[in-house]
Amino acid sequence: MTSKPNFLMPTNVESPSVSPFWEGLKTGRFLAPRCRDCGEIFFPPRSHCPECLGDVFTWEALSGKGYLYSWTELFFAQPEFDLPFLLGLVDLAEGIGRIAARISGATPEELSIGMPLEIRISNSGDGLALYYVEPFRIL
Amino acid sequence: MAIIGIGAVEVGRYPERRESDLALQVIRDALRDAQLSSKQVEGLFTTPDLQGNIGLQTNLLCEYLRISPKSMAEICCGAIAGGLTLKYAADEIQAGRIKTALCYGAVREASIGWFKNLSQGKGWAMIEPTALQPYAAYGIIWAYALSARRYMHETGATEEDFALAAVRNRKNAAGNPLAAFKKPIAVEDVLRSRYLSSPIKLLDAAASLDGAAAVVVASEDVARDLSPHPVYIQGWGLCHDNSCVIPTDDCSKSISHFTATREAARRAFQAAGVKPDDVDVAEIYAPFSSHELIIPEDIGWFENGEMVKAIRNGETDIGGKIPINTDGGLTSRGHPWAATPLYETISLVRQLRGAAGAIQVKDAKVGLMHCEGGMMNNGLVMIFGRG
Repeated sequence: MTSKPNFLMPTNVESPSVSPFWEGLKTGRFLAPRCRDCGEIFFPPRSHCPECLGDVFTWEALSGKGYLYSWTELFFAQPEFDLPFLLGLVDLAEGIGRIAARISGATPEELSIGMPLEIRISNSGDGLALYYVEPFRIL
Repeated sequence: MAIIGIGAVEVGRYPERRESDLALQVIRDALRDAQLSSKQVEGLFTTPDLQGNIGLQTNLLCEYLRISPKSMAEICCGAIAGGLTLKYAADEIQAGRIKTALCYGAVREASIGWFKNLSQGKGWAMIEPTALQPYAAYGIIWAYALSARRYMHETGATEEDFALAAVRNRKNAAGNPLAAFKKPIAVEDVLRSRYLSSPIKLLDAAASLDGAAAVVVASEDVARDLSPHPVYIQGWGLCHDNSCVIPTDDCSKSISHFTATREAARRAFQAAGVKPDDVDVAEIYAPFSSHELIIPEDIGWFENGEMVKAIRNGETDIGGKIPINTDGGLTSRGHPWAATPLYETISLVRQLRGAAGAIQVKDAKVGLMHCEGGMMNNGLVMIFGRG
């Protein structure tokens, strides 16, 4: 990752109802909530299940894989960002939702819609773990 | 219901003028155009007063105008706000609660810069930042850019095709006295302008500017008594697609075509009893030139991907199959976002009165106004008919 933190966070990162998601990132896991009332697994994590509005969850680890649905190279952002940078909209491999994440380890020319990606976790330096994506490469 | 009066200032920058001054000017012009006395105003519907925070703009207008409405509201919901003022005015008139209404909208973005404080607003504070995590830059250009790229992937559209729409808009804006950008541009100018968020470049984008606009709506009997050229609201449709900005909660939700636009258009056509091909002139809400291709396909004038050929063949030019954004659209008229739907409406009223001058669509009888909020998540389509 680059020298600047490259994020601008809204005010409620510490929202207690989704803290297992953020805690999961710190330990290298990408978690999604499953509603204990109706069984729905959903993403993005929120305080209440979007299907039945239940608020008790078990947290399940996802594969951390996804597919590039679309992408853009940003040349315009707040001073907190290093420019330009690549932003991808990524379908989670489980098919339950998408993330908008910074793409690292690829140039625009190397990107193609549908390509497999891997979610990586980085530490922002102030105790907050964040995710980004990289092209999935079989070793 | 019918629109009987319109008033607006040229889209631009008004740092030296108070909003109350702009408001009273455009409201006076709209009332005079309607030949309606301010004392006859029974409803008042406005876009939000985002600097004030307590929503007393509408109350203040009542004092400054010396009016006592029976029905009033300050309406938000993102950039669809100006369109919703018309919808709620029409609803109240249709329900028989009022006979006349004043719709007013303004944005002082260029002068005051509301977007700079976006991250402190309530909407932003309510977003759990788990999916649109940390990389959300200013505004939502990146979201539209993701949408544009996906549309290119699915249809074979190129950045040059998007540029053609920007050029069409600029050409039309030259004939609109309210437009901010009138200097002609060529496809090469658009392609050479700097990237904001690829594939979107500076000249593909709508500039957020100041504007103020007012529209007078009346019941059919009042309209017939007062107006030599009423423009009837024949029907409208609204749909929200249960996403906020880019859809992240479901991999099956498209970002190259939009359910909200499609459903809103379908409901509007059904309510008005007309078909897409009956529309003579349209104003659509495309903040970026890419969406000048996407929206007409969603409204139903073209199949998915057909706009690529249509924009190359000039089918959306004045004189073409369906003239779109004859007043310059968001990219060249300029984009005072909450008021933009009222500017679109004013352009259509001029067209349907036969008073659009250089940009007149010959014998225009049916007009369509489309506006949206979020990233095409909330759609409102209204059909207007010549009196």
